[in-house]
Amino acid sequence: MVLAHQMALESPMVEAEMIEAMEFPELATRHGVGGVPQTTINDGAGMVVGAVPEPHLVEEIQAALE
Amino acid sequence: MTTKLLNDDVAGQVRDVFQGLQEPVEVFFFGAKENCVYCDDTRQLVEEIVELSDLLGMQIFDLEENAETARQYNVDKVPGLVLLGRDGEQLLDYGIRYAGIPSGHEFSSLINDLVLVSGRDSGLDQETRQILAGLNEPVLLQVYVTPT
Repeated sequence: MVLAHQMALESPMVEAEMIEAMEFPELATRHGVGGVPQTTINDGAGMVVGAVPEPHLVEEIQAALE
Repeated sequence: MTTKLLNDDVAGQVRDVFQGLQEPVEVFFFGAKENCVYCDDTRQLVEEIVELSDLLGMQIFDLEENAETARQYNVDKVPGLVLLGRDGEQLLDYGIRYAGIPSGHEFSSLINDLVLVSGRDSGLDQETRQILAGLNEPVLLQVYVTPT
């Protein structure tokens, strides 16, 4: 299950794209991808490394929008 | 005769998971004729997956030739997948996409995502749902993964 995809299903405001980092190295580099999974929020406004619990990702999204 | 990507064991396991499918789901595949190492495998993989249930369908597009459709669904990478709910003739775009081949761990993610979209319910906590309902600007989440 992909948490970001669950959020996309829940909200019409959320889009979620799962990206295979090795196939798109330029984009991964631009977003500073080190460890995976890494979630980039709004093209760099926020970033979460690792598979984090649901409330954590929600907080990061809220912080990125501030 | 092309060799199957899914062996009988895996196909059987996926069929079991697909017992949980409820409503129809359509997968849009976007490929390209050039510079796409994983397009053929991804297309074949999705073809084999959707064959495992009558509730699943697939449509095949080319990123250049079908540029309008790609724009409509915000697809700019190949291979690209979009998971859509299907309600009769109507397609429901939730903004759920994949870029790159869904192999390894991402294979399970795709299978589970198909069941998720089919159920039309995110399964998220009530608190999360409330916060997401209050969003008033777009959020793009890009989740980077590797195939291992």
